[in-house]
Amino acid sequence: MVEILEESKGKDGRRILKVAKENLIALMANLKDQGFDHLSLITGVDRKDRLEVVYHVHSMKKNEYIVVKTETLDERVPSLTSLYSSANWDEREQYDLMGIIFEGHPNLKRMFLPENWAGHPLRKNYDLQKVQYINMDENGEDYATFDSGDGW
Amino acid sequence: MKTGDGGVLTTTLEKAMEWGRSNSLWPLTFGLACCAIEMMAIQASDLDISRFGSEIFRNSPRQSDLMIVAGTVTKKMAPRVRRLYDEMPYPKYVIAMGVCVIQGGPYNQGYSVVLGVDKVVPVDVYVPGCPPTPEALTYGIMLLQKKIRNETER
Repeated sequence: MVEILEESKGKDGRRILKVAKENLIALMANLKDQGFDHLSLITGVDRKDRLEVVYHVHSMKKNEYIVVKTETLDERVPSLTSLYSSANWDEREQYDLMGIIFEGHPNLKRMFLPENWAGHPLRKNYDLQKVQYINMDENGEDYATFDSGDGW
Repeated sequence: MKTGDGGVLTTTLEKAMEWGRSNSLWPLTFGLACCAIEMMAIQASDLDISRFGSEIFRNSPRQSDLMIVAGTVTKKMAPRVRRLYDEMPYPKYVIAMGVCVIQGGPYNQGYSVVLGVDKVVPVDVYVPGCPPTPEALTYGIMLLQKKIRNETER
């Protein structure tokens, strides 16, 4: 049995389970066996001193959602790609915008922004004053630049 | 009263060209965000821009004269907007539709949106609104026609 740190109920009636990141894979495997076969979404929350990752899993049969939350101090969380294939792009999105590193992900690259974009824009410590621009090189690849004369 | 006699209409070649151009503004199918829904409404039966000669939304930039930038231009989209504009044949015109396209709109403070499509392509007519009504966009097209015909706005 997986140790649940905290259990509560959201405003929408969904069960919220808080779990240590070491037990995340075990809990998700457990939930998948119980019929929660659809990983609905993955989001990240920046709590300044730590990062929180939120997973919504959905049971198609019971039409029921469960929210799983986990926290990390070192930006690292185990990847769920071995359990849910759809976690692949969701985790890439969170890596791109929140800077959460999913350990064991087969292809952890940025989802939306160019590879050389500096920083992760949804983090609290992201500096909006340093404006970055995007342009396309001859091969059709995007690149980010701080030079306003180079991109848009 | 009709007499049946032939009449003579005098004009210059330039005027005739301008008249022809302004009455065959074929727009590019180019919806980037929610403004595209309002843009689609202008070709439906209620407003029907065919009445002004903007017959049909062309799917290729090589067959269109008018680019209606309808929706938020993200920084990632900007090089593509420029490329599509470059592929359009001369004479070509641009309408900036909606406040996102004019100066960033609600995304003005964000990290990902171009603050005004006029940084990317030259704009002829600005149609403000969030989103502008189809009537406003139709008026924008009529303004552009006046601009092409060198008429002053009342």
